[in-house]
Amino acid sequence: MRVSDLTRLSWDQVRRRKVVTMLCAAGLSIGCAAIILAMSIGESTQKIVETQLTSYLKMDEITVMPDNGASAGPGSQSTASDEVKNRGKLSDQKVEIMRNIKHVKAVAAMQQLSYMQMTTSDDKQAYAEVIGTDLNSLEAFGNTYWQGSASDAPNSVVISYGTTLGLINEEEQNKLFDAMNLNPGDPALQEQYMTMMTTPSALYQKQIQLMNNDQDNKRKTSEALRVVGVLKKPKGVSDMQIANDRKIYVSIETANRLREQLMQSSGEETANDTYNQVTVKVDAEENVKQVEEQIKKLTLNTQSNLLQKESLEEQFAVFKSIAVGAGVFILIIASISIIVAMTMSTYQRRRQIGIMKVLGANLSQIRNMFIVEAALLGLLGGLLGVLFSYWIVWGINALILSMSTGEENMSIFIPLTAIPVGLAFAVMTGIISGIYPAVSASRTDALTAIKRD
Amino acid sequence: MLRVEGLSHAFKNGNETTLVLQQIDFRVNKGDMVALLGSSGSGKSTLLNLMAGLMKPTEGSIYIADHNIVKMNENKLAEFRREHIGFIFQAYELIPNLTVRENIELPLVFQSTRPSIRKQKALKLLEQVGIPDKGEMFPSQLSGGQQQRVSIARSLITEPSVIFADEPTGNLDTKTEEEILAILKHLNKTMNTTFIIVTHEREVAQQTQHIITLRDGLLEKSQPAVEMDKLPVEEAVH
Repeated sequence: MRVSDLTRLSWDQVRRRKVVTMLCAAGLSIGCAAIILAMSIGESTQKIVETQLTSYLKMDEITVMPDNGASAGPGSQSTASDEVKNRGKLSDQKVEIMRNIKHVKAVAAMQQLSYMQMTTSDDKQAYAEVIGTDLNSLEAFGNTYWQGSASDAPNSVVISYGTTLGLINEEEQNKLFDAMNLNPGDPALQEQYMTMMTTPSALYQKQIQLMNNDQDNKRKTSEALRVVGVLKKPKGVSDMQIANDRKIYVSIETANRLREQLMQSSGEETANDTYNQVTVKVDAEENVKQVEEQIKKLTLNTQSNLLQKESLEEQFAVFKSIAVGAGVFILIIASISIIVAMTMSTYQRRRQIGIMKVLGANLSQIRNMFIVEAALLGLLGGLLGVLFSYWIVWGINALILSMSTGEENMSIFIPLTAIPVGLAFAVMTGIISGIYPAVSASRTDALTAIKRD
Repeated sequence: MLRVEGLSHAFKNGNETTLVLQQIDFRVNKGDMVALLGSSGSGKSTLLNLMAGLMKPTEGSIYIADHNIVKMNENKLAEFRREHIGFIFQAYELIPNLTVRENIELPLVFQSTRPSIRKQKALKLLEQVGIPDKGEMFPSQLSGGQQQRVSIARSLITEPSVIFADEPTGNLDTKTEEEILAILKHLNKTMNTTFIIVTHEREVAQQTQHIITLRDGLLEKSQPAVEMDKLPVEEAVH
């Protein structure tokens, strides 16, 4: 029997038996849509979380620290401990070696000083994290300037876009916070707070000062610093999230001076040719592991964010498996409806089957007609399922859009692989459910079937 | 062409065995038009079902085109029927959702014949059975006589060795009955196709060349139709 005839005869039945077709296709479409949606939501959420994770944690960066060895035991010789420390120092020489490792794009010392209060010349205040680094390397680390650029001039600072947000003078701030404490649920005050937090101030070429309390709770103020560059506003992140990402970059020399001016000496001075921490930028995420292993050979400690990503992927894999499992469960339930509908259909059509057998149709031809019919039902259900899932995703996205402030780039998408997977599951369910009715149809006794009472 | 040798068949109903056919022997030559005549319960339909391979006899052999169909399994029989046997049913048995042409083509569909060849053959047969313009209609749009013409065309499309017709005029009025019998006789002559017609009507049987009369499962008479014509009605059909 030709495939075209088999398909035509089966399609004819699918088309003719509208109620059965509708019932079977409806069940299958729900199962198929559930699988597609499960995959889509899983993939989309993973992508959203990964994008946010990448913007915060930088997947292509490795933090390198000195390897001080295991803490020395009470009986161990201090000279042996010093030797280990010397071997594990993060020296200029090692930084140079790291720069020449394959796949390394940039290497920069990053000294995190602390969160400090920043004051502008017009008395506005906010807190920001102060980081000492080579300002010229900021661009190599994926940052782009919105205003200005790096400068070698003493006391230069580069600030993140978030640092320009939420600046307010102390008096106004206290007034707002007091009002909020009195009326915590007042939407007008909440709105005022949000506006204040997301309104940028012009800081480019302005002077700022940093303030910190020492151990005796004495407030210390730094020398005046000039903002020579403001980094670009990150894309796909809300203003509130940006407002929380407040960083002030200073040169290593400036950082050392600020430490002297604002902080208590730790008693452990860093030598000029060694660093506490260095950040390595790798050309691609997939090369991070390889570069990390090479850096470790230099007796240094490394830390990357790959582990977080791997654990996230594991968690999403579990979520996706559960969701796909739910879809498969729905398909199994749908398959019962196909088995019932097609078995009934076999019974109703037994006379027709008998005639076909008398006219020369053999067992496999009758069986194949029913299996193709079931597969067509599956395909129809699958196509409907694809359509449903697009509608549902469209609905979810419309809901997300109506609920979001419009800043976040959050939307559910249907990955291309989900469509063939969903269709394949629907067709397979159709075929598997059609096997029993098909075998039962092929076994119909022609003589009994055509006999008229 | 068709040889039935020592054919017996019994039905079992619990412990009771009913013998419906006993030691039937006859042969039909190629191009013959033979009637199996008998009253209800004579065993003629059982004999037809056995010859068509729809049942297995308790004893004996049936040879069609030198093949003993008794020894064939279900799939082999399906293949054999497809190639060598045509069927005309009393109630036409057309597939309602297929057009007239598609119904006629159906046996060739099971033979995997190319659609263009099928169509060509079906159109030719529609002309031969006198309904050339009904090809794209559905069976429900045709009269009983027209439906039986479609059934005849369908039985002929595979150019079978033998066509079994089970009471082909049983559902038709006298005028249509005559038309259908005339078509069968014409096709028998022009196409040299062997026809075996099962009937309980003496008038129908007389339209054939040879009549095999069955009575209570036994072959009572096998004689040319012309000779039977001379017998009184009561004697011709018990």
